[in-house]
Amino acid sequence: MATMATNSIEEAFINAFRPLGLNGTRELIPTREAAEASLQNLKLPGRKTESWKYTSLRPILKREYRPISAAAISSIDAYRIPDLVSDVLVFVNGEYSKELSDISHNQDVLEISALSSLSAENKEAFQQKMGTAIGENSDIFSALNTAYAKEGTLLLVPAGKTSVAPIHLIHLTVPEATATISQSRNLFVVEKNASAQLISSHFTVGEGESLSNTVTEMLVSDNARLEVIQFQLESDQASRIDRIDIQQQRDSYCSVYTFTMSGDIVRNNIRLNLEGQHTESHLIGAYLLSDSQHVDNYTEVHHKEPNCFSNELYKGIIGDQATGVFSGKIHVYEDAQKTNAYQTNRNIVLSNSANIYTKPQLEIYADDVKCSHGATTGRLDEEAMFYLRARGIKEGDARIMLIYAFCMEVAENISIEPIKEYVSQLIQNRY
Amino acid sequence: MLNINNIHASIEEQQILKGLNLQINPGEVHAIMGPNGSGKSTLASVLAGREEYEVSEGEILFEGKDLLDLDPDERAGEGIFLAFQYPVEIPGVSMTNFMRTSVNSVREYRGQEALSASAFLKLMKEKKKIVDLDTTLTKRSVNEGFSGGEKKRNEIFQMAMLEPKLCILDETDSGLDIDALKIVSNAVNQLRNEHNSFLVITHYQRLLNYIVPDFVHVLFDGRIVKSGGKELALELEEKGYDWIREGATV
Repeated sequence: MATMATNSIEEAFINAFRPLGLNGTRELIPTREAAEASLQNLKLPGRKTESWKYTSLRPILKREYRPISAAAISSIDAYRIPDLVSDVLVFVNGEYSKELSDISHNQDVLEISALSSLSAENKEAFQQKMGTAIGENSDIFSALNTAYAKEGTLLLVPAGKTSVAPIHLIHLTVPEATATISQSRNLFVVEKNASAQLISSHFTVGEGESLSNTVTEMLVSDNARLEVIQFQLESDQASRIDRIDIQQQRDSYCSVYTFTMSGDIVRNNIRLNLEGQHTESHLIGAYLLSDSQHVDNYTEVHHKEPNCFSNELYKGIIGDQATGVFSGKIHVYEDAQKTNAYQTNRNIVLSNSANIYTKPQLEIYADDVKCSHGATTGRLDEEAMFYLRARGIKEGDARIMLIYAFCMEVAENISIEPIKEYVSQLIQNRY
Repeated sequence: MLNINNIHASIEEQQILKGLNLQINPGEVHAIMGPNGSGKSTLASVLAGREEYEVSEGEILFEGKDLLDLDPDERAGEGIFLAFQYPVEIPGVSMTNFMRTSVNSVREYRGQEALSASAFLKLMKEKKKIVDLDTTLTKRSVNEGFSGGEKKRNEIFQMAMLEPKLCILDETDSGLDIDALKIVSNAVNQLRNEHNSFLVITHYQRLLNYIVPDFVHVLFDGRIVKSGGKELALELEEKGYDWIREGATV
């Protein structure tokens, strides 16, 4: 009986995604049918799934979902980054809003488009490249995304071109009375010697339970450069399963920043594949959690070629009954000599009921490499607290100063000044 | 200004202060000397409000207010300043931001308006001169990568910024070479006036050549066992602490 009940919950969950992919975009994703077929064999992660050991999806799975419907937003002023000159693409409940978007800055140098508005040429490029980084359907959420996604973003930076302004993707979710589900599918292609900066922000507008399932593929060609900064600023009822797969070719640079300031259950999967020599990569993140928020950052770095450098830095502040999870796997393949791979996860817990699980994992099959990992979890430095208070600074202010100092390390190397300032404001406004 | 009456304090169940009495009036400089473990730093910690110390008996009045009722930040607002023996490094918190928050927090406590950015910078510039603090240091994180001498000078700089009524110098001379000692002492002497008082805690007499005290107290086993004028410090330097120890046990 118990097994049947579980099966029916899983079935209902998967079925809830089906209507998302209808509406006439079936032909956009050529691998749709294969993905749909693979759902027969893929299982939702459970308590015994090693890579999901510390994140239970039960609260999410047992809800009855409906696909989210269209909603209107009159202004995006509150969601833009102050003083940032950028292209803006706005998606409301997963649908592209042409009226709220402005993609004029980069129109002469690169292609940026919602999947629903692709030109014939871009459509072909999208169909050709999508799925490259993800590979075969090995996890159920990306298979669901491939099978039933209908909207998302294509960024295509042609060889030798550089974005003249960052591109800002703003995703707004307007929840409904019943739990809703939405998906987004993105492909960022940076060709040889090209360069781009992209920011994505996720907000919830209003109350209600929601779940987003997003897949993003990033293809960074020879000597190309891609910088991505994500802001997850959703409500305490908004859950998110996010997957990013990156392929880097020789001499390329890629950085992905992930700032999670809130959310219900958030799982960020990042898989970095280093396919060429002399690449540089940075996976950076900060999560500032309170109440019963649960954020799980799961990263894999695959060093397949020699002479590559990768660096991971994730820092967390966990308060109340919140839970932070970090898993970092570094896999150095047999041929990947002279690999430099670093990984750091630092956490501060603010309460006795906060939880942190951190799991570094190094698999090294080459013998001439430099790899290090370190994880720490502790409380705010009492001695520093006393020092600040002895100078007249109130306890609450002193705590914010120390939290701020701890977190801002992750923003140190962000080159776009208004974004650094935005991060600074987000941290200060958090407490 | 400060009245310490029969204070008993312990840390982790270990009794350190065992009935200490001390009275400090405005304009006075008191030196507390004593061997290691006698309770000198505990006294400084109890005055500044370190939470690890438990006061089981006695009272401390500061300008008539019960000091033990106040949080460390409130004590700073009232005008108590502790120059730390081991100033902590706080990576990521810039000296300027720290000092601005500190000055304006204290001003808010005292019912004064926050300083404007330009007034604050002017004040910084003025006070930095007193301790000859390198301008590059205030651009760094609090105490991060400062040498021992720079840390101590930074303490006195903060003291100058906050204009406290009672300054507690907790072994400010430890780890200072003679030049740094002169700079620090000179700064303290500039800050001395008839309204503020100093409690100089030191193991050695050397500092008191430069900061000349009105009173010298010898702390031993949690109590003040001998008080006198500045000549007492010289006597201690000459004879060491053994004669105090013998006297105390008799």
